[in-house]
Amino acid sequence: MSHPDPEQFRAQVAALQGALDGGDAAGFRHAFEALSAQMDCGLLPELKRITATAQSALARFSAEARLDVLAGHEVPDARKRLTHVVKLTDEAAHRTMDLVDSCGPLVDEAARGAASLLDAWRSYGERDLAFAAQWPESAATYLQRTRADSERLRANLTELLMAQGYQDITGQIIRSVIALVDELEQVLGKLVCIADGNEVTSMQRALPAKLDWERGLGPQVAGITNGDAVSGQDDIDALLSQMAADK
Amino acid sequence: MSSNLKFLVVDDFSTMRRIVKNLLQELGYNDITEADDGNTALPLLKAGSFDILITDWNMPGMPGLDLLKAVRADSKLAKLPVLMLTAEAKREQIVEAAQAGVSGYVIKPFTAVTLKEKLDKILASRAAA
Repeated sequence: MSHPDPEQFRAQVAALQGALDGGDAAGFRHAFEALSAQMDCGLLPELKRITATAQSALARFSAEARLDVLAGHEVPDARKRLTHVVKLTDEAAHRTMDLVDSCGPLVDEAARGAASLLDAWRSYGERDLAFAAQWPESAATYLQRTRADSERLRANLTELLMAQGYQDITGQIIRSVIALVDELEQVLGKLVCIADGNEVTSMQRALPAKLDWERGLGPQVAGITNGDAVSGQDDIDALLSQMAADK
Repeated sequence: MSSNLKFLVVDDFSTMRRIVKNLLQELGYNDITEADDGNTALPLLKAGSFDILITDWNMPGMPGLDLLKAVRADSKLAKLPVLMLTAEAKREQIVEAAQAGVSGYVIKPFTAVTLKEKLDKILASRAAA
């Protein structure tokens, strides 16, 4: 901002005073206008500059920041995508468990068949050596291995079932991110209102209740500290034993 | 092995309910009812004669901790064994669950052996009581 010359001001004030003292109304008006113009020429350009900057900042804010697109489409789409991931993993986990369920009886049947053939062989063999001699040794070895393998297969099927627990763990983590996206959408919506020059009276939808540990924090995530967490089941067992002992 | 014990399994994820149900069936427990949060579980508990409750913590609606407290506050249900099966891992939470009267606490992800071990322990102390 340019500062008016004090000497110029002094001359204008003196002219104003002279016109007033001399009862010169036209001279007074002339001197007053000159003084006023002198003041405006410093202030006005500065005010205009600030107003223009503010206007262009607001225009950039709504146009360049893509706020409308973000708030109107991309953030709601992000939520839909995350929800879809939870649905897909849910379906995949159930499909896997359907297959585990259908494999269980097949494995059991193979184990039962092998065991009953081995039993029959032994009981016949005791009574009829000629019958037992018809059985090659490799058949017995095969049946014994089938029986043992069936047990391992059964155990693997249980592990396969347990592994589907990932869907619950990832689902809980994704749901907490969805809650965050919901909040982000609210905040963006509010910013869009401000950028459009509308008054924001209230949030359209209530924000989700703040998560606290009583409601549940969800699973631990590597790299994100969640306060004082246990390291695993052994840690929990030790903590509970200690509490029971302290009672 | 088979048993007449009546289980209520509460979790908002159907995959986890199914895993727990299958494991219980492998252990010989076949009378299993499911619920997806505390609000649906509590009326079932009040109406039915369940022997054991296995519940998640973090659920929409009524979380597992509130369900545990509601069970302990109900004179008819107060002694029901409650096993918490959850990913919640803060020490503060485990202490709170213990103080609210939880019978066992299994952290997710868990193994079939851990679930069996905690169930056996709960059922043994239930039989001794």
